[in-house]
Amino acid sequence: MKDKDELALEALFRSEPIADDGFSRRVMTRVRRRIWLQRLTLPVAALIGGAIAFQPLVQLIAALGGVLGNMPVESLAMSPDSVPQLSTFILGACFVVAALFFLPALED
Amino acid sequence: MAQQDQRAFGELVRRHQAQIRNFLRKLTRDHELADDLAQDAFMHAWDKLHTYAGTGSVIGWLLKVAYTTFLQSKRKSDRYGEILEELGHAEDARGTRITSHSDEIGDLDKFLAVLTEDERAVMILSYACGLSHREISDAAEMPVGTVKSIIFRGKEKIRESFDIESHQYG
Repeated sequence: MKDKDELALEALFRSEPIADDGFSRRVMTRVRRRIWLQRLTLPVAALIGGAIAFQPLVQLIAALGGVLGNMPVESLAMSPDSVPQLSTFILGACFVVAALFFLPALED
Repeated sequence: MAQQDQRAFGELVRRHQAQIRNFLRKLTRDHELADDLAQDAFMHAWDKLHTYAGTGSVIGWLLKVAYTTFLQSKRKSDRYGEILEELGHAEDARGTRITSHSDEIGDLDKFLAVLTEDERAVMILSYACGLSHREISDAAEMPVGTVKSIIFRGKEKIRESFDIESHQYG
């Protein structure tokens, strides 16, 4: 049972329902923009990183090429042990599958 | 999955926007500011959607996010106001505070003016949003006992300051 004060307070706080007037649309536009920004962040960061790393990477490859070119031929001969085994390939494939599975979750 | 989330969230916004905006309008007494804060609150809700445990009511959780957004914004504008005052821009500083910007001071504004910020928020959640004591306790992050005593104290203050029975109701 509500007393008079209670009813008076309820009446005082009561107000007309607020019309949407495009409010929901504005919020959802911001949400969609946020989603796009989140999706773009990783590729853009990778691109920037790639652009920054490109020149030093080319220099490193060129330097490695020079070093390998100066090495004696017999030291470059591969032993059968250095060829990747089937188990290594399977492990690598497992990593790729796991990464494909977990990356979208990480993005979410 | 993301498409479904978006659709569901859109429905959530459409269904509860009026109550969130009403809460913030009464709290800030400034419609434009309240609507900006409501947008920010829904963005925070989108970011924190995974934290909603599904135990309480959705509107209770959304009002909690809205109240937190209001407090954060108020702290920020208070700090900015202090900096401006320190720099001697007193007029600008006054404009940054979250207070009533309306020329028209209604009965509700006079009632709310005698309450502290906590009391104001709890009274609005109770009487304007119709939340239960338990829901207010969750939204304002305070024990149910504190909520009850704040409502009691708020009513006492209003009774002492005004003759609320003279207000039209029914």
